[in-house]
Amino acid sequence: MSLLHATWLPAIRTPTSSGRPALLVWADNWRVASPDGPDDTPAQHPFSLKPEDLRDWLNDKDLLPEGIIDATACLTLPSRAIKPKKCGKLSKNKSLETKTNQVSWTGLPLQAGEPIPNKFEWWPWQVQGLAIEPAAAAKWLSKLPLSGDHPDLGEELRWWSHLQRWSLSVITRGRWLPQVEFSKGEGYPHRARWVPLLNREDDRQRLEELAARLPLVATCALPWREPTGIRSNRTTRLRPEAMRAANPVASCRPRSGRLRVANLLEELVDAQLRKGFTADFNDLDPLLSSWQEALGSESGIITLTDEEVQRLATASSHWREGVTGNVAPARACLELFTPLQGEDLWELRFALQAEADPTLKVPASSAWATGAEFLQLGEIRVEHPGEILLEGLGRALTVFEPLARGLDSATPKSMKLTPAEAFVIVRTAATQLRDVGVGVELPPSLSGGLASRLGLSIQAEISKASQSFTLGESLSWNWELMIGGVTLTLRELEQLADKRSPLVNHKGAWIQLRPNDLKNAEHFCSSNPELSLDDALRLTATEGNTLMKLPVHRFIAGPKLQGVLEQYHQQKAPDPLPAPDGFVGQLRPYQEKGLGWLAFLHRFDQGACLADDMGLGKTIQLLAFLQHLKIEQELKQPVLLIAPTSVLTNWKREALSFTPDLQVYEHYGPKRPSTIEELTKVIKNIDLLLTSYGLMQRDCELLESINWQGIVIDEAQAIKNPNAKQSKATRDIARANKANKFRIALTGTPVENRVSELWALMDFLNPKVLGEEEFFHQRYRLPIERYGDISSLRDLKARVSPFILRRLKTDKAIISDLPEKVELREWVGLSKEQQNLYHKIVEETLDAIAKSPRGQRHGKVLGLLTRLKQICNHPALVLKEKSVKEDFLERSAKLQRLEEILEEVIDAGDRALLFTQFAEWGHLLQAYLQLRWHCEIPFLHGSTTKKERQAMVDRFQEDPRGPQIFLLSLKAGGVGLNLTRANHVFHIDRWWNPAVENQATDRAYRIGQENRVMVHKFVTSGSVEEKIDQMIRQKSRLAEDIIGSGEDWLGSLGVSELRELVSLEET
Amino acid sequence: MTNSSNNNQEITTALSEKGLGKQPWWVEQWMELINSYRFKKRLERAWGYAREGNVTSIRFEGRRVHARVQGTEEDPYKVKLWLDVLNDEDWSYVLEALTQKARWSAQLLAGIMPSDIERAFAASGRRLFPFKLQEVRSECSCPDKANPCKHISAIYFLMGDRFREDPFVLFQLRGRTRSKLLADLAEERQKVLKTLAEKSLQEKNESPHSPKRKPVSPHSALLNPSLWWKYEGNLDVDLVVITPSMEGDTGIDSAKELPLAEDPRYLDARQKFTNHLREQGQVLAQQAMLQAMASDD
Repeated sequence: MSLLHATWLPAIRTPTSSGRPALLVWADNWRVASPDGPDDTPAQHPFSLKPEDLRDWLNDKDLLPEGIIDATACLTLPSRAIKPKKCGKLSKNKSLETKTNQVSWTGLPLQAGEPIPNKFEWWPWQVQGLAIEPAAAAKWLSKLPLSGDHPDLGEELRWWSHLQRWSLSVITRGRWLPQVEFSKGEGYPHRARWVPLLNREDDRQRLEELAARLPLVATCALPWREPTGIRSNRTTRLRPEAMRAANPVASCRPRSGRLRVANLLEELVDAQLRKGFTADFNDLDPLLSSWQEALGSESGIITLTDEEVQRLATASSHWREGVTGNVAPARACLELFTPLQGEDLWELRFALQAEADPTLKVPASSAWATGAEFLQLGEIRVEHPGEILLEGLGRALTVFEPLARGLDSATPKSMKLTPAEAFVIVRTAATQLRDVGVGVELPPSLSGGLASRLGLSIQAEISKASQSFTLGESLSWNWELMIGGVTLTLRELEQLADKRSPLVNHKGAWIQLRPNDLKNAEHFCSSNPELSLDDALRLTATEGNTLMKLPVHRFIAGPKLQGVLEQYHQQKAPDPLPAPDGFVGQLRPYQEKGLGWLAFLHRFDQGACLADDMGLGKTIQLLAFLQHLKIEQELKQPVLLIAPTSVLTNWKREALSFTPDLQVYEHYGPKRPSTIEELTKVIKNIDLLLTSYGLMQRDCELLESINWQGIVIDEAQAIKNPNAKQSKATRDIARANKANKFRIALTGTPVENRVSELWALMDFLNPKVLGEEEFFHQRYRLPIERYGDISSLRDLKARVSPFILRRLKTDKAIISDLPEKVELREWVGLSKEQQNLYHKIVEETLDAIAKSPRGQRHGKVLGLLTRLKQICNHPALVLKEKSVKEDFLERSAKLQRLEEILEEVIDAGDRALLFTQFAEWGHLLQAYLQLRWHCEIPFLHGSTTKKERQAMVDRFQEDPRGPQIFLLSLKAGGVGLNLTRANHVFHIDRWWNPAVENQATDRAYRIGQENRVMVHKFVTSGSVEEKIDQMIRQKSRLAEDIIGSGEDWLGSLGVSELRELVSLEET
Repeated sequence: MTNSSNNNQEITTALSEKGLGKQPWWVEQWMELINSYRFKKRLERAWGYAREGNVTSIRFEGRRVHARVQGTEEDPYKVKLWLDVLNDEDWSYVLEALTQKARWSAQLLAGIMPSDIERAFAASGRRLFPFKLQEVRSECSCPDKANPCKHISAIYFLMGDRFREDPFVLFQLRGRTRSKLLADLAEERQKVLKTLAEKSLQEKNESPHSPKRKPVSPHSALLNPSLWWKYEGNLDVDLVVITPSMEGDTGIDSAKELPLAEDPRYLDARQKFTNHLREQGQVLAQQAMLQAMASDD
């Protein structure tokens, strides 16, 4: 799979042209490559796509920009040194003599996502790509996604799209000025430019942010000069020396990004404004009209005499200077300090502050003492700190005149301010100062943040009388008014307000009172409100929550309440609940916690979503929970469990083995109850009723009429689309009858990261939490999905996190609970077609076997078993179909289940090996899965050549963006290979000999494996596969030597034994 | 030929009626110089002359002003203006005085001409601004023997406007360009700081402060090449929804008037230029906002 990159290509300067800057887009693609190194000029990047392929690929992906030309650049990339194979280089270059460069380094460039080797070096590589001129680049970048990982786009493209978004904001806010740039030297023309103004605090912060996070690949290019020159109007090839000089083997040094990023922003802003600008030459003098013309022209070249350009350059620069200074690593900072005890005057101290990190500050005296040296602010190096400080103070003077008094000495460090002047700073000047690029630090109680507003300090506890704690119950509580970190009574507030002074001192803290403060406080005090547990949960969920318009600054919970809050907000792991009586088997420690958590939310009548990673045992935890209810005698009505058809079998099997006391009934098949009477009768003594999403939808009315104790949905992503019938029906059933039924959702997908899917899930679990769908869409989904709005995302997560428990198998706490190899049996059923075929073949073949002579029986038996196993996989196998048709998925229950699990594997970014013993099945599966996921899936089988095998293995192991699924035939792929990048192994069909399966499993589970390996073994229940599985597990019945000999022993079975082995049992 | 209405009012540098805004103080000071001239009548004639656009160029070259004025002859007359240059000794007094007040350096660095700059020059017994117009030396290639002739006087008027473009031109005429002045100032400040530092050290009796030259730490990407590709930033909250500025908050609005001298032949050109930029800015802002919203789909 290719990955797209974008790198800025600075303007090329040649004697004849100034060149143009451009955005170079290029892509790399992993492949086997032999190491290469620079010769006279940098070597070709071995992984980059050729321009024509790149065009096709971009066209395919609908990403092809306008205004492009083929281009080459030299990119500095981290590289790994690899010694060449001896003959390779020689034959390629004919002889080493042509190598004039002494550098004999060879290696390969690293690719994004590739594990970093211990040793790496930086080397320039020639990369071919497409150059987009800046205005078209801006347009193209505007269309790229602003958030999320895109499979085809390198991460730096998101950085670019953010930069472009910023440039749109600069243009929308009109924060720019035109400038005239005097020629930088020979070959550079005079130019008219549109320059962004970065004086505002938010823009400066944005600059620091984007500079600090700049992916260096975005700026690591030097232009490549074609090996041709023009002499006396004839194109000539450059001599090697000239080539070397034009394209030196030189690397770009990564530097502080601040200036670079500011320049890139300027390029984007300039290009867009230039493109959209329409000049109006009426009544303009020659100077201004030339300037205007150049502002609207593509090249920006201004045609005036040097003298005239100089005038414009000076005037425009002086113009801009009135608004903003230059980009620097540090800025002047004014720190306001409250008066000392008993004094009247405030102090304003001068300091130097790092742009990148406002907490890095030094007092003015250090800046003065530094003299001509540079100053180190943390990691940041500041040249000429004295000048930076002085310039900032000069700007500060333009908005805060009293400052002049403090600058009368040669090296001022601080000054005194009257209370009135201090108030001016707090109230208005602070903002203005920040806007001219001067930092301002106010005392915390006045900093304008939430803490400086009048609010509440609350103490609360669950009242002693409370037994059951429910959400609506009132807490015992008391409160105080609080502002700027100090508490005060209403009377004190009235007294302070009477002073009619904007800044007042209370208990040693200086606070600013706002006009409505007193009114709000009086209103609150007179209404004497109550505080419920529900309020407490809400107030402690996120910061800045208010109670009757007053922000809650402090919330102190008593020990009992604290315990509830912590558990609710998942600040601590849930209290574990041991496996209930009647539960057969053991719960792992994290499963006990999961059980405890389900019980906790159940007590508060809140819906819960258990979203543990695949393989952690969600089924078991839920069964344990139901058993817990049963033991506690709380299970008075049956529970309805809705799951995809493909897992119903699995549920039945698991319930049977872990919670045999639970009475389970499957509402499925044509003979299922169809009236309320029938159903009521059937469920009379039932604890758990299983049904599929499809039937639930069909029997919606019937199921709604039952008073369920609870509704559980498995593979809850099935209801993610709120408008789909299936989703609506599920939510209707959950809401029907309004009785307090519990709601539990199970899913292995990272639900909390899928904003679009959250609403329907929460609507099922706890409808009030996210409100109506339309509100949710505007408030959360749009800002988060389109723009990656992090504050909305944080708020959303805080809202839903109490109801979602997700543990990953990579969590440290979980790993210690898990064995290194986890075996999972995936029980599946058969589709109607599979069942019919199965029966038919069993009957026909058993007859034939009974009639056939002994000599032929053996072969016939083996043939039968093979065909039955094939049917369990897919009917297409025995019907000898060669292609994948539309209904391919629905014809096989096993395939449905496989696809569901693979979806989770792919979502989690995991990698899987799929083993099958049937090559034809491998081919069909490969075709189907490639269609399903639109990506290449390798299949290693008996006729794969040695070279192809190696390429598949290398790619799977090493390509940073290699395939996540690898299909192998059991025989060809079961031995010898090292595939430790996989952490899932699937045995799609079963082999008699466990050793063969284990050997295959060990492709992934071997030295070099750093993760837990999940081994999924598919078993079609009731079929021959289940018998095989049983035999393997209970080695007793057949001696190991029989199993060891493969399938031969089967041939000698009698017909009745054979019938028992192969016939389909009703389950 | 004099416009009679001009007789009763002060002559200002502003050529157009609309542009009668407040002038920077140094421009006003220059105009005061002209207004206090004895032979004001003669200057008034030149005012009209200048307004007709006869001055074809004014150039600040080194310490002199070179100008060309189209007179009655075919070739324009060449006019030169200059001030007495301060010698190095004079400048050293000025620099010393300038460093005494941080404000002066601060303003000069921020591109602002301090209004009390003359006080720093007083230390040398010299001035930045000429006290009288007679101190402005001049030469004209015209046959008129009188000085100032009409051509020189015309330049006097336009000079004020040209000071707006770059107040530091005044320093240049006195012998120091802006960059030289700032460099000299920095050097002078170092001297002051050094003596201050030594003094405080003696008081504190400490060993001399020697800033350690830490080696520049290598860029973090050099140690961790995965930073070459990585970007984990989220879109700035304020960039989620892109909205235009409040009224009067664009760059053009917050910048003061474009400090470019007006061409007398194109009155109001500056105003038209910035107005057009402002209008176009609104159109472009609208387009950018739509584009930002369009990427929603």
